[in-house]
Amino acid sequence: MTPLLEVEDLHVRFPLTEGTIEAVRGISFTLGRERLGIVGESGSGKSQTGRAILGLTARPGEVTAKRLAFDGIDLMAAPERLRRSLRGSRMTMVMQDPRYSLNPVMTVGQQIIESYRAHKRVSGRDARRAALAMLDEVRITAPDRVMALYPHELSGGMGQRVMIAMMLITGPELLIADEPTSALDVTVRGEVLRILDQLVAERGMGLILISHDLEMVASFCDRVLVMYAGKIVEELASGALDQARHPYTRGLIGCLPKLAGDSHPLPVLTRDPAWAR
Amino acid sequence: MAAGPSPLTAWLTTAEPQSRTQARVGHAYQSFRRLARNPTAMAGLVIVGLLVFVAAFAPLLATHSPIASGDLRTERLLPPGPVFWLGTDDQARDIYSRLLYGSRLTLAVVILVSIIATPIGLAIGTVSGYFGGWLDRVLMRITDIFLAFPRLVLALAFVAALGPGIENAIIAIAITAWPPYARLARAETLTIRNSDFIHAVRLQGGSSLRILLKHIVPLCLSSVTVRVTLDMAGIILTAAGLGFLGLGAQPPTPEWGTMIAQGRRFLMDQWWVAAVPGIAIFVVSLGFNLLGDGLRDALDPKASR
Amino acid sequence: MATPLIEARNLSVRFGVGRLTVAALDDVSFTLAPGESLGLVGESGSGKSTVLRALTGLAPLSGGSLKLGGVAVPTPRRMNFFTAVQMVFQDPYASLHPRHTVDQILAEPLAIHRIPHAETRIVAALREVGLGPSYRFRYPHQLSGGQRQRIAIARALILRPKVVLLDEPTSALDASVQAEILNLLEDLRRAFGLAYILVSHDLAVVAHLCERLIVLRQGRMIEETTAGALRDGSVKTDYTRAMLAASGGFTRVGPTAPPTAPLRNT
Repeated sequence: MTPLLEVEDLHVRFPLTEGTIEAVRGISFTLGRERLGIVGESGSGKSQTGRAILGLTARPGEVTAKRLAFDGIDLMAAPERLRRSLRGSRMTMVMQDPRYSLNPVMTVGQQIIESYRAHKRVSGRDARRAALAMLDEVRITAPDRVMALYPHELSGGMGQRVMIAMMLITGPELLIADEPTSALDVTVRGEVLRILDQLVAERGMGLILISHDLEMVASFCDRVLVMYAGKIVEELASGALDQARHPYTRGLIGCLPKLAGDSHPLPVLTRDPAWAR
Repeated sequence: MAAGPSPLTAWLTTAEPQSRTQARVGHAYQSFRRLARNPTAMAGLVIVGLLVFVAAFAPLLATHSPIASGDLRTERLLPPGPVFWLGTDDQARDIYSRLLYGSRLTLAVVILVSIIATPIGLAIGTVSGYFGGWLDRVLMRITDIFLAFPRLVLALAFVAALGPGIENAIIAIAITAWPPYARLARAETLTIRNSDFIHAVRLQGGSSLRILLKHIVPLCLSSVTVRVTLDMAGIILTAAGLGFLGLGAQPPTPEWGTMIAQGRRFLMDQWWVAAVPGIAIFVVSLGFNLLGDGLRDALDPKASR
Repeated sequence: MATPLIEARNLSVRFGVGRLTVAALDDVSFTLAPGESLGLVGESGSGKSTVLRALTGLAPLSGGSLKLGGVAVPTPRRMNFFTAVQMVFQDPYASLHPRHTVDQILAEPLAIHRIPHAETRIVAALREVGLGPSYRFRYPHQLSGGQRQRIAIARALILRPKVVLLDEPTSALDASVQAEILNLLEDLRRAFGLAYILVSHDLAVVAHLCERLIVLRQGRMIEETTAGALRDGSVKTDYTRAMLAASGGFTRVGPTAPPTAPLRNT
């Protein structure tokens, strides 16, 4: 059985006037119908990895890979038209702040219906029914009331649930969530993650969760990739943070203040240039 | 400085300046380097530099008097040739020499208008945006009244009230030029007045005047400067328009707009009389335009690296 | 007990007029002793940042009283208030003037308060926050997030305040940089006998830096507790307990089990 996503030797480069910046430097992994976490600090290339898979790398970025395949389809060779139709229907993305990813002058309902009808030939009434059902699935009470709201009338948690509904209504097989909860309050964060978790499990989707929050990702995902300077430095199994071997991962865990057993001063991460090699 | 970095270049480009003076000179040098890397901006700078040069040395470069007429029987409306490089006009005056002297007026108009209009626009815009409330409403309504009139019509009204002449034309143009700068400065001020770095100055005890002058105006200045240089073309054309209508510089003063007005009658047969000053206006306007565009990038320290 | 450095009684802040009035802060009282460190914890909309804005005068008080060193604080604030109370903002990308060099940024408070020997003070201030004099003539965009936050801290400390208000000082930073900044804040506090008021949504950060903390929700104080109580879980209200539980990472209830807590829609 072909894996949902195969990535082999993926590079993302940005040629600038002063030389090329290599954001992602040859990473490889495969994804089945599972929850994969990608963790790293800013500049580690984690977000660029997600964008490259979807074909959303900003210009003038260049993506190269020995193999980048979604469900057996070679994405590197696929024409732009095919990638666009894949994006949104079979693979999709949820971003950090719903306030910036939703259109401010369209109601929530219009946006969900539009994204549904862009990929499915259905009547307006059927699309509306599907949108209501989807909002119900992300546990929005009174979905018909929420459908008429504009994005600025939503709270952060509700906005992110609407965003998830909009992205999942077409029934994609792969969801890439880039820091989906980092703009949310901790108590709301749990709800959103639970909804995401349940939908992924029910639909048998593949999920890539990109975040800087190592603890959250490790407690949520089946597998965690730790990225540093554009490379994967370590792969961890779920909940196995204490078995991390790479000094970067260990440093990252160590430098967080902890409620239980805090240390003063906090251990500081000393970066070894050899890690980036 | 072709053979490797000289001590001077090293002093200018060091990442660790030893004194404030060195840092300031270094940053100015970096800005200039950014400007120099931009070919269109350099073209603009060359044109503007040429204008300044010509205006400064007009008496040396001119071949004839710009005002005194030549022989009206044989030297009227001559095409460009070896004696009169750009031809002569209907008063048998050398167009080349008039053009050189005219650059002085053009430059004066541009400089005076910008040093009068820019501070007015900046002051009204930043005060309006920073304080808000009724002050903002009053100032912006005044600005809107000025903006509602076509520029030339308003300038015409002012000149008509003040009396014709180049000085009054300059004042009239300056009075009509500031409203867009005020609008621009206000819009910029609105976006920065609630930013944390302004809050930080307020928490240090900085007065409103200090915040405006040291923190808000410098941020608005670069976009207003760019806007002013982009408007130079319009200013020159307004001055020319006033001259054309007989309300600006008075004959026989060699002003480009007036020159076009006089050449208009011979446009069909002696095209160069109007075309030469027209081309001059076009080139100078373009020069300011290109320079303004380049300045926008050069003035932003974020563009470095 | 000696006079508290800051004494806030029944602070309330309202935004809007008439029926649209929103109470951003409702009846909040606390004291801060010299050298003490107090945490304000809450989620978005809890009013934790409004407390700092009310202290500094950026948000006008609609009720309550505020004393600094036993003396009532007037509105608008006087110059001596600003030498005693300084603030570090959340986003180091927004709190430094983009067109000013580090030197200009640090010179500004000294110029406002007419403090002599600015150049030596600036170099000393940079050294205090662990940056060398080589950073003096750089622009903010040439610095990393952590370095910028160090500059913001240096700017706050250059007037030698007694209280520093910290508004989520590390939430825009990477975890490894956060550790460095937290260590720096602890060192500086020890070195200068500073008192901190730290606003954060991160309980672990607050417990790390503060001895005492106040939990806010929708503008009201709902619990006053200690870092120790937070560590051993002996908090009094359900809300604090829920926050404590949520900050421990994601807990899977069961493969298909519905969430236990009722979901809020607002």
